[in-house]
Amino acid sequence: MINRLRERGAGNFLKCIQCGSCTSACIVNVVEEEFNPRKIIGSIVRFNKFPDQDPWLCSACLLCVERCPQGVNPFSIIVSLRTIRYENGNALPNKVIELIEQVKKTGLAFSLSKEVEEKRKLLGLPGFGLSEEGLSEVRRILLEAGV
Amino acid sequence: MSITLYLGCVIKALYPEVEKAIKEVLERMGVNFEEPKDASCCAPLGFFSLNRDAWLRLNERNMRLFQDTVVTACDDCFASLNDAFKIVSENKGIKAPEVKPFGKFMLENLENRGLRFSFKGLRCTVQHSCHFLRPARGMDDAENPRVVKSVLEKLGYLPVSYDGELDCCGGLAFEERVREMLARRKAEALEKSGADCVVSTCSHCMRQLRAVSRLPILHLAQLSALSMGANPEEIGVPDMLLRRMVKP
Ligand code: SF4
Ligand code: SF4
Repeated sequence: MINRLRERGAGNFLKCIQCGSCTSACIVNVVEEEFNPRKIIGSIVRFNKFPDQDPWLCSACLLCVERCPQGVNPFSIIVSLRTIRYENGNALPNKVIELIEQVKKTGLAFSLSKEVEEKRKLLGLPGFGLSEEGLSEVRRILLEAGV
Repeated sequence: MSITLYLGCVIKALYPEVEKAIKEVLERMGVNFEEPKDASCCAPLGFFSLNRDAWLRLNERNMRLFQDTVVTACDDCFASLNDAFKIVSENKGIKAPEVKPFGKFMLENLENRGLRFSFKGLRCTVQHSCHFLRPARGMDDAENPRVVKSVLEKLGYLPVSYDGELDCCGGLAFEERVREMLARRKAEALEKSGADCVVSTCSHCMRQLRAVSRLPILHLAQLSALSMGANPEEIGVPDMLLRRMVKP
């Protein structure tokens, strides 16, 4: 498990002293008490067990990274847990699926509504979107990377 | 000065008034800018949470389309491009462009431009972007951020501090429940500050807060462009704010 996390970019979790600074910085823990970055890391380091907590609850505020006295980067561990869950075939949040589908389709994360299109014209803003060649390059990269 | 302007998907698709404002600012400051049509999404969180390789390769492609300096309109794009470019540059020995978030770019370039500011005195709270401040990259004080406030001061506006200033608004949370709770919490903190409006440099914060806040949520570029004499209607500054400002 340790190697699997490391290969997916997890920070130096073996240096964790379970001080709880990350959890006291964590804004999601304030609104959703069962989400607890200290316990996530504890589960890995102390019990050699993938944590049960949902890594997608993290809001990516990165305050745990700033405040950890040991330079552990708890957020990077949460991200590698997301990756591993995805590789194991766990369901993704809808927002993530939408984002990825949109980028595959257009190379950008959002599409233009009729209303905004009109407004862009009115303001003299340039056209929106990639060229055919650009888009096929982006699609090839995504395919090769296995997205 | 010549730069690449990277607006990001959200601003391009949802906030044409912000795009207009940024372009007005750059033109009035005499900055030549170019927007590579073929640049893709910077593939932030949703992507690199799942597939680091895709994130790095999309941004290696972006990197090759950019000039030596890139100014980003959204701090989340800044973080994604900046961090990916560093890794690609180390791995492949290619020189990475310098990525400047809009706030920092303004702070460094606003002075000595001989600009006459046409509006003053608005009370502004700042919604600080998590991904500009953290991980700390030496661009601002991560625990007591000053960059956006300093730009506002230089423009003649009045930044207002408040409790919960560093709190995340949940704009990059993927679970609806968390998104809603964090947005509501943040909107309350901003309203309690007693300011006339909220100023942001992140398109995700803007989107998140515009959905719940009673205060107008503006991009720093909108207030910058207003100061420099742009047409308030084109850059999306509401009348109610104009009435609260003084013409010096
Ligand atoms: S702040 Fe760092 S050392 Fe303390 S519990 Fe969290 S990860 Fe471990
Ligand atoms: S990055 Fe995630 S885990 Fe870390 S403090 Fe923020 S919400 Fe909590």
